[in-house]
Amino acid sequence: MITLRGLTKRYGATHAVDDLTLDVRAGLVTGFLGPNGAGKSTTMRMILGLDHPTRGRALIAGRPYAALRRPLCAVGAMLDARAIHPARSGRAHLVAQARANGIPVRRVDEVLELVGLAKAARRPAGTYSLGMSGRLGVAGALLGDPPVLVLDEPVNGLDPDGVRWIRRLVRDRAAEGRTVFLSSHLMSEMQLTADHLVVIGRGRLLRDTSMRDFLAAASPASARASVPDPEERATLARRLMAAGGVSVETSESGELTVEGRSAAEIGDLAHHCGVRLHGLGDVRVSLEQAYMDLTARSVEYATGGTDTSAVRSTDTGTARAAGKGERR
Amino acid sequence: MTTTTARGDGDRADLPGAGHDGLGRGTAGGFAGAVASEWSKLWSVRTPYLCLVAGLAMTGVFTFYYASIARINEYPVQPVGNAAASSAVLVQFAVVVLAMVTVTSEYSTGSVRASLLWVPRRHLVHAAKALVAGAVAFVAGTACAVVGVAVAWGPFGGRASFEAGTAVGQVLAVGLYQALVAVLTVGVAFATRHPAGALSILATLLWGLPSVLLGLGGLTLAAVNDVLPHGAGDHFMRVGTDAPHAPATAALIVAAWATGAQLVGLYVLRRRDA
Repeated sequence: MITLRGLTKRYGATHAVDDLTLDVRAGLVTGFLGPNGAGKSTTMRMILGLDHPTRGRALIAGRPYAALRRPLCAVGAMLDARAIHPARSGRAHLVAQARANGIPVRRVDEVLELVGLAKAARRPAGTYSLGMSGRLGVAGALLGDPPVLVLDEPVNGLDPDGVRWIRRLVRDRAAEGRTVFLSSHLMSEMQLTADHLVVIGRGRLLRDTSMRDFLAAASPASARASVPDPEERATLARRLMAAGGVSVETSESGELTVEGRSAAEIGDLAHHCGVRLHGLGDVRVSLEQAYMDLTARSVEYATGGTDTSAVRSTDTGTARAAGKGERR
Repeated sequence: MTTTTARGDGDRADLPGAGHDGLGRGTAGGFAGAVASEWSKLWSVRTPYLCLVAGLAMTGVFTFYYASIARINEYPVQPVGNAAASSAVLVQFAVVVLAMVTVTSEYSTGSVRASLLWVPRRHLVHAAKALVAGAVAFVAGTACAVVGVAVAWGPFGGRASFEAGTAVGQVLAVGLYQALVAVLTVGVAFATRHPAGALSILATLLWGLPSVLLGLGGLTLAAVNDVLPHGAGDHFMRVGTDAPHAPATAALIVAAWATGAQLVGLYVLRRRDA
């Protein structure tokens, strides 16, 4: 369990992280999302005691990172996989790490085996590919068999096989009751991996919610129906729009896109009116789309603004409104 | 690894790492762990070996010429250990590079973050690096001094005296001086974080400034040099010169420099984000 209370980091006038209060719970994979420069890495560094908060606290199992007796056995972290001495072998790096916390050296060979790096273990880390560095970073995070994992972009540079491996690894760890907090820019991957989402923009908390609720909030019920007969199409569209809060668009190919009604509701109505359908299905918004809609207004570099006042929208209506906007 | 049973909070003590001692029970973390880690890191790259070889080579060349010059110019007889003590002015830079790189290489590669994740109490990282560098420099300095004494004896050609007690004392004095230089270097390196900055400061302090002060001459400037690290160090390493301080005082002056650098380095390390 990771606890953030009013966590704030200021560099001069810029709030890199602004008053973050949240809990990262055990037994779940919590995804940490935000545009570049939103403060994700700064937040993770403060959790791990590398950066000093301007205000507020970041606690792991109720204690600041620096107060942990054997930090590697309490928290496994991977921040920048490339940040290793290029001349030191992967194994020597892990041996030094193990010795720092009194972890037996045989555990080093176990984790090297586990991440599939046993063969390259004695090569200088500078010769590793980005994917291999990533695996070394994960090996380091797992070294102390910790109940909490903090991973910054763990799938960066991994091949599809490695991406699946990470997904299974963190899902298994969460299923064992551990806390997993990870950031990623790969939305499709995050959608498959995370149970819970924390989204920040310009250092402020935008969402702290389950994946399901996040997607549901971002996308009102919406569906597509293919109606071959033009007359029946018009009838169905009229009947749908008779109720408030429903918008219907008709494409040239005879497809209706309905916002505000689910496929089940449209099917029932079509059946009731005797309208023939050739196709019917719910339109599911992807995490990527939901995320883009939410952060569109807070992307630092897109707006070019320097104040943080623009990011105030924590009501779901904003995301919904943005969701109806144009999509590129 | 493939356990899929969800567990409630009440079961978390069963987790392998949850008790903080599932691994490494009974072995050291803390300062002992930090020292062990620094030791492993030091010897897993090539730099310290190269520095030691360079230190030995410089000692050999320097002491050979020192003794030869003493013979050729028919200097008065001096303790043979003076050759080794004098070589410290050059050999100290092998120690400087060795100690500096343990710090600056971590900043240039970003791996200092790893070090601070492993040992989050920063003063322990600082102290462990100083201790490891200092211990290695003591052994290396002592070894170089022994080699220097052995190399110099021949070329001195009778212009040197050997007295076991004095020789041992001088060899150990050189070791102590190099150890203090290493500690000084670690402090400066933590304060500057960059090799260029650290090296300019240390080259100025340990070599540039003394050369200028003694080159210009005069009692005042010499007195200033006497309280600089190498000036003071020279007074407790060499025997038979008219030193203004007692050897113990001279050693304390160098120790004070090392301590001061440690405090500055520690201040920067604790204050600044990694």
